[in-house]
Order: sequence, then C-alpha cells, then structure tokens
Amino acid sequence: MTTDESETRRRPVRPHTRRRFLTAAGAAGAVALAGCSAERTGDGDEGGDESGGDGSDGSDGEGDGETPTLTVATYANFIDAPSVSPGEWLKEEFESRFDAELEWATPDNEVNYYVERAASGAGVDADLYVGLTTEDLVRVDEELDGDLFAERGSVDGFDDVREGLLFDPFDRAVPFDTGYVSLVYDGTATEAPETFDGLLDEEHAGALIAQNPGGSATGRAFLLHTINRFGDGGVASDGDGEAVSGEDGDADYDYLDYWADLQANDVRVLGSWDDAYTAWSEGEAPIVVSYSTDQVFADMEGENLEEHQIRFLNDQAYANPEGMAVFADADEPELAREFMSFVLEPDVQGEIAQRNVAFPATGTAELPSDYAELAQEPADPVTFSYDELQGSVDAWVEAWERQFAGN
Amino acid sequence: MSDHGDDARDADDHGGRVARLRAWTEARALTALAVLTSLTLVVAFYYPTATVLVEAVVVDGAFTLGVFADVLTDPFYFGELARLLSGEPPGVVARALLSPDRRLGIVGFTAYQAVLSTVASVALGLPAAYLLARFEFPGRKTLRSLTIVPFVLPSIMVGVGFVATFGQNGTLNAALSALGLPPVDLMFTLEAVVIAHAFYNAPLVARVTTAAWESVDASAVETARSLGAGPVRAFVDVVAPQVYPAVLTGAALTFVFTFGTFPIVLALGGFELATVEVFVYRLVRDLNYAEAAALAIVELAVSLAVLLAYLRYEARNATSTRGARPLPRRSLVPPSRSARDLLPRAGLAAYAVVAGVVFLAPIASMILASVTGGDGALTLDHYRFLVERQQTGAAFQVRPWPAIRNSLAFAGAATLLALPMGVVVAVLTTRRYRGRTLVDAAAMAPLAVSGIIVGLGLLRGLVFGVEIAGWRIAAGGAVAIVVAHAVAGYPFVVRTVSPGLSGLDRSLVESARALGASRARVIRDVELPLVWPAVVAGAAFAFAISIGEFTSTVVLATGADAYTMPVAIERFIGRRLGPATAMGVVLLVVTGLSFVVIERLGGDHRGL
Repeated sequence: MTTDESETRRRPVRPHTRRRFLTAAGAAGAVALAGCSAERTGDGDEGGDESGGDGSDGSDGEGDGETPTLTVATYANFIDAPSVSPGEWLKEEFESRFDAELEWATPDNEVNYYVERAASGAGVDADLYVGLTTEDLVRVDEELDGDLFAERGSVDGFDDVREGLLFDPFDRAVPFDTGYVSLVYDGTATEAPETFDGLLDEEHAGALIAQNPGGSATGRAFLLHTINRFGDGGVASDGDGEAVSGEDGDADYDYLDYWADLQANDVRVLGSWDDAYTAWSEGEAPIVVSYSTDQVFADMEGENLEEHQIRFLNDQAYANPEGMAVFADADEPELAREFMSFVLEPDVQGEIAQRNVAFPATGTAELPSDYAELAQEPADPVTFSYDELQGSVDAWVEAWERQFAGN
Repeated sequence: MSDHGDDARDADDHGGRVARLRAWTEARALTALAVLTSLTLVVAFYYPTATVLVEAVVVDGAFTLGVFADVLTDPFYFGELARLLSGEPPGVVARALLSPDRRLGIVGFTAYQAVLSTVASVALGLPAAYLLARFEFPGRKTLRSLTIVPFVLPSIMVGVGFVATFGQNGTLNAALSALGLPPVDLMFTLEAVVIAHAFYNAPLVARVTTAAWESVDASAVETARSLGAGPVRAFVDVVAPQVYPAVLTGAALTFVFTFGTFPIVLALGGFELATVEVFVYRLVRDLNYAEAAALAIVELAVSLAVLLAYLRYEARNATSTRGARPLPRRSLVPPSRSARDLLPRAGLAAYAVVAGVVFLAPIASMILASVTGGDGALTLDHYRFLVERQQTGAAFQVRPWPAIRNSLAFAGAATLLALPMGVVVAVLTTRRYRGRTLVDAAAMAPLAVSGIIVGLGLLRGLVFGVEIAGWRIAAGGAVAIVVAHAVAGYPFVVRTVSPGLSGLDRSLVESARALGASRARVIRDVELPLVWPAVVAGAAFAFAISIGEFTSTVVLATGADAYTMPVAIERFIGRRLGPATAMGVVLLVVTGLSFVVIERLGGDHRGL
C-alpha cells in the first residue's frame, strides 16, 4: 500500500542504513558538548587546557628549571609561504642559541586578534608580536585604553637600526625589516611613466591595477603615497583648515583630484594584492602596484626579468617598516627582549631579509653582495609618521572610498 | 513495530522497564532534539553574533540610535532613499529616483547586482534542471552529483579561472578570434561579476529544482493528458506548480548569497562595484565596530525581508503530494524528426555551449593553471610542491594531507549534525501557529548575517569564551568548527526538507500516530522516507557549505592543526599562483568524489 512497504521488499537494507544513519546523526549532537573548556579566571595562572590545543601540551605545570616557551605572534606569511619564509629558520636558530622553545602563533586577524583578546579580558596569550606597522600601532592605541605593548627596554643592537625606520614615538616597537611599495610593470608590453602625472597620460589609459586601500597593505601604501605627493586637501582636519600639503606644491590639487583623474584614465582598483597580481600576470594590464622586491621572486621562478620591471614614481616608493614589540602582559618579557636582540644580530638580519624578501632594518646586516641587484631600493623613500597617521588615516581612506565608489 | 511485540512476549521486569524507558525517551525525543538544536544555535550563533551586532546601538556603554541614523540617512549607502529617511518630502525623492542621474547608494547597488545575479543564476540553472530531471543519458547521476561542485570553490580559484577564461588574453577571446569574431572585454565589469555569481549559484538553483522536478507524480500528468490537456497545458497546470516553488527557493537563496557577496566582486569587478560587505569588512578591519554592526544589521534586514517574503509564498503554495512514480525520462537522442522532439534538444545543445563557457571553461582554466609553470610550459612542479610541503613542512606549517583529512572530517561531522537540526526545525516550521514567521526568520538567520560579523562573534563568544562565576568557559578547535559549520549548513536542510514535509498527506501521519507510534518515530519511519531525496539534497548542501567555509574556520582553528582545504589554498597563494591552484584542484577532486559518494549513499532519487 504505502511506498515504504514496496520499497522494503525491493531493498531490504535501505531502511536500516537510513535508521542507523539517523541515529548517528543524533549522536553527533551530543559530541558537540565535548569541546568546551573551562578555566579559573583572575589568578593569572596559565592553567588553560584549551580544547583543540595549540600544539603545546607541555605548557601546564612548568616548574623552574624547565625549558621556557616563548610564544611569538606574527602574520601567517612570516612562517608559512609557498616560496620562502623566515619562520622555520628563526625557530631552529633561536632554539640552538638559547635554552628556550619558540612557538609561533598566527591568528588570522593578526594584531586585531590581540586587541580583541585584551578587550575581552581573556589574556593576551603571547609574548611578543612580530610584524607591526605604523598603522597597526595607531589603530591599537586608538582602540585600547590600556597598553597592549610594553616599552622596548634594553635591546642589544638597537643602536644599529637605521634612523629613518624608527616609527614608534612611544618607543615600543623595534623595526626588524622594511619593504617598499612601488610599481611593477611588464617591460615587454609598456614603458611605465616616471612620475605620478605620467600615469594620467592617454598612453597609459587602463594600464594600472591597484588594490583596495581598505583591505590591502599595498593598496593602502599606494594611497598614502598619493596623499604624500598631492596633499589631503584638508580631508582629515575637521574643517579647522589644517591640511597635509603635498610635495607637488599645488594647494588646489589634492589626492582626491588625482584619483578622480586616475579613475577617468581607467585605473583598476581590485580587492587584494592576490587579485591584482593575478590579473596583472594574466596580462589584463601592464602595470601593477606591488613590492620593489618583485624581481627576487621572478628570479626564483626562473621568469623573464624583462617582464618584471620596477618603477619608482618620482624616484620614490612608500616605505613600510615592520616592527616587533613585547606584549605588556607577556609571561616571558626578558626572553622576548632576548629574541629581539637576536633578530637584530647581523647574520639574522641578513637571513630575515632574504627569507622574507625584504630589506634589513639595521645598517650592519650581512647580505650577499648581489642582493641589491634584484631587490631594489628607491632613492627617496616616503612614509607617514605615527603622528601624521593618527586621527587622519581613517578619514583619508573613507573620503577616497566615497569618491571612488559613489553609486 | 515488530520489536515491540517481541519485547512484550518475554516481558521479564527488566525487559518491560527497558521498553518503557524506550517509549518514554521516544515520546520526548522530538522535544529534546528541538531544545538541543535551539541551545546549539544560541551558543554557536545567536549569542556570538549578538555580541557584535549590539555594538551598533551601544556605544561606550550607552544606548544610542545615532550610528544607525547616520547610516540610514547617508546618501553614500542609501542613495536617494537616504533623503527620504532624513525627512525630505516623498515627492521630491520620487522625482530624483526617476531622474537619469539617480543615486542608488551602496545598499541599492548591492541589491541591484544581487537581482541581476539571481536572474542569471535562474536562467543558467533551469535548463540544467530540465536536462537532469527529464532526460536519460549515461553519466546522468554523476553529473547531477557534480553540479554542486562550483558552489564550494574558494573565490581566489574562481578569480583565477575567470581571468584565464574571460580576460583579454583568455580562452574565450582565443576561441572568438579563431572563429573570426571580435574579442570581448568582460573583465572588471558588472557582467563579469554577475557571471561569476551565476557560476556559484546556478548549481544551487539547478540542484533544488531537479529534486522537485523528479518528484512530480507521473499519474497526475497522465490524468491531465487523458482528460484532454495538451502537453503544454499539462506542464503549466500540473508540473510547473510543483517545480515553481523550488525555483523560488533557489532564487531566494541566491539573492541572499549575492547580496552578501564580498571578495569575488573586488577580484572580478573592482572597487567601483563595491558591495555593502566590502565596507563591513573594512570597518571591522579598522576596528570601527559600531558602523560595521549597523551596516551588517541593514544587510540582515534586507536579506531576511527577502527570505520571509519567499517563506510566506512557500507556506501558501504548499502542493500536496503522496509521492509516487516520477515522470519517465526521455532519451537525449531525438526519437523522431518532428519539431516537438527536435526543438527542446536543440535548445539543450545551445545551453550546453553556454554552460561550457560559463562553468567548464573556468574550471578547466584552473586545472590548466595548476600544471602551467612560470614560463608557460606544462609542468607538475606545483603538485611536487604539495608533496614536498607534506613531507618537509614544519609542524607549524599548513600541509595538504591534514587539510584534506580535516575538511572531510569536519564536513562529515557537520553534515551529521546539520541533518537532525534541519529536520527538527523543518518539522516545527511546517505546523501552523502564531509567530511561525518569527521562528522561520530566526531559523534562516545564519544565511543572512554577514560572515565577517559571525566570525568576529565566534572569536568573542567561543574562542575567548564567557566568564561565569569566576570560570571562563571557552570552546575552540575541531568541535567548535564542526558546530559552526553545522549552523551554517542546516538552513539548507530546512529549505530542502520543509516543502516536502508540509506537502505530505496528513492522514499518513495520523494513522501512524493512531497505531501508537511516537511523533519521533513517525518522522523517522514515515515522513523522512517519503521525502528522502530532499534529505539527501540537504545533506549534500550542508556538506558543501562546510567544505567551502573559510571565515569561521580560521577564527576557530585555535590549534595549528585544525586547518581545512580552503585555508591551505589561501596559505599557498604567493607570487606564483601554481601551488594554490594545485591545492584548488585537489579540493575540486576531493569534493567532487564526496558528492558522488553522498548521493550514492543516499540512494537514488525516487519520487516523493
């Protein structure tokens, strides 16, 4: 009568498997409760038995005399990239020189993760952060009332850091490398212009691919570079008449005017660096905003360097120094400072620069003599200081967004 | 029922107790499951999400509607509508809306592209459903299983595939120039974004519609025909009413997905085509939570409004079915030369060409990219990279095999969890009672909330945990990921199972109840078997959602060992896309096989 019966005759197995299947599904719900963890709060004791673990089963019950663990937080590419990354070498080298274990932590939201952690009262759970930018510090200081990072303290080798790279006015972050955001172009398809104004020429219509300044480091650096060049037209000053004046010396022409002209000349602003670089690699446009170390990668891949040319507009590039700082409530602040000293040593500086495909922060780094052949530095690096960015950068990005995407 | 009889025959005390206990638990099983489902949703979705959304109205500890008011009256977000909201007379605004230089605002534009994407997805999904439901050909079942594959691909892969297919130097232009046709420049236009959205969502429309079409009772059509209705009339009056709701299901879900779209728009369109989610992402990144939450609530309101409108329609148009013979399938080879036989097949042939360009070409381009070196020659280097990374990668680095294993384990577990959740909610929402709409809306909310906001909420609510009486209760890692995936996937189970359940003949349930079966037992032994194809389709969707999920996964993967395939793909992106595309092809193959296995496990679709 019912389909059920006839079906059972034909396939005696099915209802049973189905029933078993449904029972299993019901049981799955019960398991869900098993993933919680509970720990006492308020005594600062590291007794967390976080489910899922963080690879450190030995963090509990550490007495004195045991090897201390240094937890270093950083961005994922620093320890894990398809080409090269310094993480593995640093860990081995540090552990061979110090009686300590180094553990990497790479939360997806990077510094914001620790801002959230601090704000939620969950404890920071790391000793230092490697990979801070000026903007990170500005953002952290705006968001948190307390201190996320501690003062630098004594770090050997700090005097070797190049003067122009120091970006933290409160002396917490120590620079360990720097990169430059510039144009990369395919020399077989075009000759990139020498200046910002040249990008507005008819012959470069639709030739440039940039990135979203709200979501990509290179995109934001390029936007800041245009502000440095053309001024901000008083966008960030709440109408009190104080404007960032550009190097072009024209007070009536600001970065928004320049971007309006770029947009009229068909600039493409895509999402992430990956989006832009993919489109550029496929030949959608001959010029892309990227890093001045592009040839190092191209050389690794055995590509034609003619197709990977660097252009510093007006002989400039936007510098993005990266720093490291100890968390204010680090469990191992002294060990963290030893790690910072270790990172500034000449041989380590050279290794980090090569493995992170960047430039060292110290003047004493040991680099192969031919390093500068592929990794190019601009004659005139440009960067905004902490004080210049504070209270301005959000307004700059927002004004740009509103002009560029006004529907 | 037979085992009850056995129990009674050798009823010692013990046996009697067991039987009584079983009857007692069975009688309450449905209630218990409903309570568990609600708890799961509160812990893994409502509470975490609320911790973020509340920031729109609570700033520095004080309640305020200021942030909201700012967003609602901002022409940048709401275009001409903002003027209405800020109190300008409707007449003026209406005139402005009709003028050629009207401003849509970001929200208006997002809705506009979502509507276009929905239309495109339905247009590309329907012919596929027609082909899969009405024709018989070798490999049909496998093809039906594979239709859902595009749905799980990470946006970076789709970006690569689309640039390689539709770019200036892409496959499409190469083919056009070979035919002597002028090239088309699709990249970085709204068209490219709409096609990409159709790539993602047409499979969804196709899959849902196919299931409904296969459940059309053949005898109803035969009755109509014997009463003198022509084939067209029979289709319009008998088949269409049963297929139509499924198409709308697909359309409503597509709208919600494309309204919340984010990376693909910027990758293939550019910032001129930025959607609301782009701004939510930027605001969260800059720790500007108040405005981000306000925008996310706007998104939620629009998406829920669309879903609710659709749900009201679905409730009114439940078609009654008792499940029976599906319509016989026709051969793809035309049996005669008559126009009636040739026309539909010619149409399908034309569709096959379009589908080849939109679906197969990008996927083929991805596969080709994974075997192409920096110099353009064919190479297996990128796969060699995967093997090397597996063998020599450091413990803290992402390796391919654990990613595959985790993806499958999480997706399997999430599916097993999403199924009972979805079935319970479907049962609850097929009854009629006051406030049902609210329950419906609450059940569908996981589809409508911005993924970025959910991720942030999970970080606060689960990873950092909550402090209760001096204890901090937290959850992270594999179990939390599975629960989060199940929450994201269960609405699909509800949406596929619910229409079938509400259309079931109530007398079947009533007779079973009258014979002494508990409510849970009726669901298990009577109702679910009758809507089994829909359960399998829901399972496939839940599995797909889990495999493709990224945002919540990276937030909850507190360990160094809970990463999945999409995470690995993201991690392998570098100057050369090869390694990432190779991992993408691995994902493609693994998920393709999984879908085939799921459908085989679920058995063949019979009519409802």
